[in-house]
Amino acid sequence: MWDRRLAERARSYPTGVLSWVEPSGDPVSVRVAVELDEPRERVLFPALPPIARGRTGLACLLFHMHDEQLEGLRQVVLKGELVADGASIALEVTGFVTANGRAGTDEMPHAGAPLHMLAFYRLGRRKAKEYLAKRGEPWPPIPFEEIGRAVAEAPD
Amino acid sequence: MATLTLPPAVGAVLRNFYTCEFTTVNRQGQPMTWPSVPYLDAAEGHIVCAVSIAFPVKAFNARRHPQVSLLYSDPTGSGLDHPPAVLVQGDAAVAEVLDYTPDIIGLFKTVSKRQPDSRRFTNNRVVRNLFLWYLFQRISLTVTPRRILVWPEGDFAAMPQVIELAHVG
Repeated sequence: MWDRRLAERARSYPTGVLSWVEPSGDPVSVRVAVELDEPRERVLFPALPPIARGRTGLACLLFHMHDEQLEGLRQVVLKGELVADGASIALEVTGFVTANGRAGTDEMPHAGAPLHMLAFYRLGRRKAKEYLAKRGEPWPPIPFEEIGRAVAEAPD
Repeated sequence: MATLTLPPAVGAVLRNFYTCEFTTVNRQGQPMTWPSVPYLDAAEGHIVCAVSIAFPVKAFNARRHPQVSLLYSDPTGSGLDHPPAVLVQGDAAVAEVLDYTPDIIGLFKTVSKRQPDSRRFTNNRVVRNLFLWYLFQRISLTVTPRRILVWPEGDFAAMPQVIELAHVG
């Protein structure tokens, strides 16, 4: 389903990463420029890399960015299927996915945005409890001091 | 495990890019790609990433379908000038992070260096305990590369150079 708010966010990225799966089962990804065709709920590729030409089938398109401190994280994935589109191919979008606990934005949570962080915390804690319940036993104690020492002493 | 011998420009990318675009394949055969912080353990011949137990889909996908790929195409923060874009295709081994082996410690150190703000979380006992599920309760994906595709200067308009790792080193 097309998401107008996330599509608007996707438009702000200069490029995205298009991925598909080869018949061998190996995934392939390339960075591509895109044009979003909202009326047809498709993504077009004005300069498709040669390695991607003629590919059809299930695919996804990731947009993400970060700064030089690995902050300002943004990410959104468009799921869909590569289909013939005139002389080229296009991504027929079936869904937008974020991993941030909120709808309508590609911004990842950050301590500077406490409400967003709270939403992410609640989502993560609930999901982690589900994982641990399926696991059937609690996670072993974590040796924080030992880890801290090892990280400090590890070579750069 | 074999040492990973790489062309210098490729090795520099795998050591210095902050993130890669990590692709797994789900039960429906749909590729799903998300950014991830990778740690290259060249001596052991593999690349390590990890996910929180709260968001384990990538790990579950890789357990079911071990063929994964890692694209290094965003040089932000790497300090490299006109680096190639690099696609690593390989096989992932998935395990809960219960032992703090050198590659896991290397991954922790890599995150701490590249994202200095994360230390506010790991060094504060209260915050650390609140976010245990994100910071320390993790699942590792250890990727043994089989094939590397290289686009010099990140130019995807050209066909990539292909390095079959079975013939390297």
